[in-house]
Amino acid sequence: MIISTEVKALRAALLMMLLAMGGVSVLGQVLRERARMGSHEQPSTESWFSPAPIATPLDVAAGRKLFLQSCASCHAPDAHGDEGPDLHDLEISDRRIANVIKKGIKGEMPSFSRKLNDAQIAQLRAYLRSLGS
Amino acid sequence: MDPAFWAKAHGASTHLPLALAMCSWGFDAAGFVLISWPVARQFSVVGYWTMLVGAMGTVPAVVSGLMLTKGEMMGHDVLLFHHLFVWPAYALLVGLATWRWSVGVMAARRAFAGYLTVAFVAAGLLAGAGYWGGELLLGGT
Repeated sequence: MIISTEVKALRAALLMMLLAMGGVSVLGQVLRERARMGSHEQPSTESWFSPAPIATPLDVAAGRKLFLQSCASCHAPDAHGDEGPDLHDLEISDRRIANVIKKGIKGEMPSFSRKLNDAQIAQLRAYLRSLGS
Repeated sequence: MDPAFWAKAHGASTHLPLALAMCSWGFDAAGFVLISWPVARQFSVVGYWTMLVGAMGTVPAVVSGLMLTKGEMMGHDVLLFHHLFVWPAYALLVGLATWRWSVGVMAARRAFAGYLTVAFVAAGLLAGAGYWGGELLLGGT
């Protein structure tokens, strides 16, 4: 017969496990909600007036390479979408595309600001713009 | 604030519970096996405190991880693998530390054998979480 102290301790342990996981779930939910609330940041008004970059075929080719390295795992190699959405025929501005790649979408897509520099983001954007519908 | 603050905080805080939980299992197992040795109780005392401190160390590790993922508890690919090990390990560590704290340094031998078995599983899960955490940071480099 196991001494009752061990059994009581087991009950306390199970209760603490439930409380710990419950606490984590609540914290996770709160953080996800906060992230969702702030996920649609607008670019600054000054940046609206900077000239749009001109893409070359070389940019598109480099962008495709970057896409396959960094984006294809979620958006599929043909960019028609898998876990992430279809990226053909995007109806958002160039700056919005760059902004999403840089900052990510909280809770949905990671930020690539540390992985890709501005020139690479421009190449990636050129590739996305080259995709038909 | 440094945009990588939570990544750094998570990296800095995860190694304490990882190391202590594994140390705890090692000392407890030594104390259990070498029961007739004079140092067996000292081994159990070290196992007791390393488990308690290790379990307390999971709190900053888990909070910084959740801040880093912005509340994402599962995710996909490598992050999913990391979480599949993290959450059971976290729950087990909390449970093990609570049990140990309630029972004290020494427990009935049969019950302690059960504790050691669960602690071994928790240590394995922690090792898996650490491996996939490392893959998240260093994979593909």
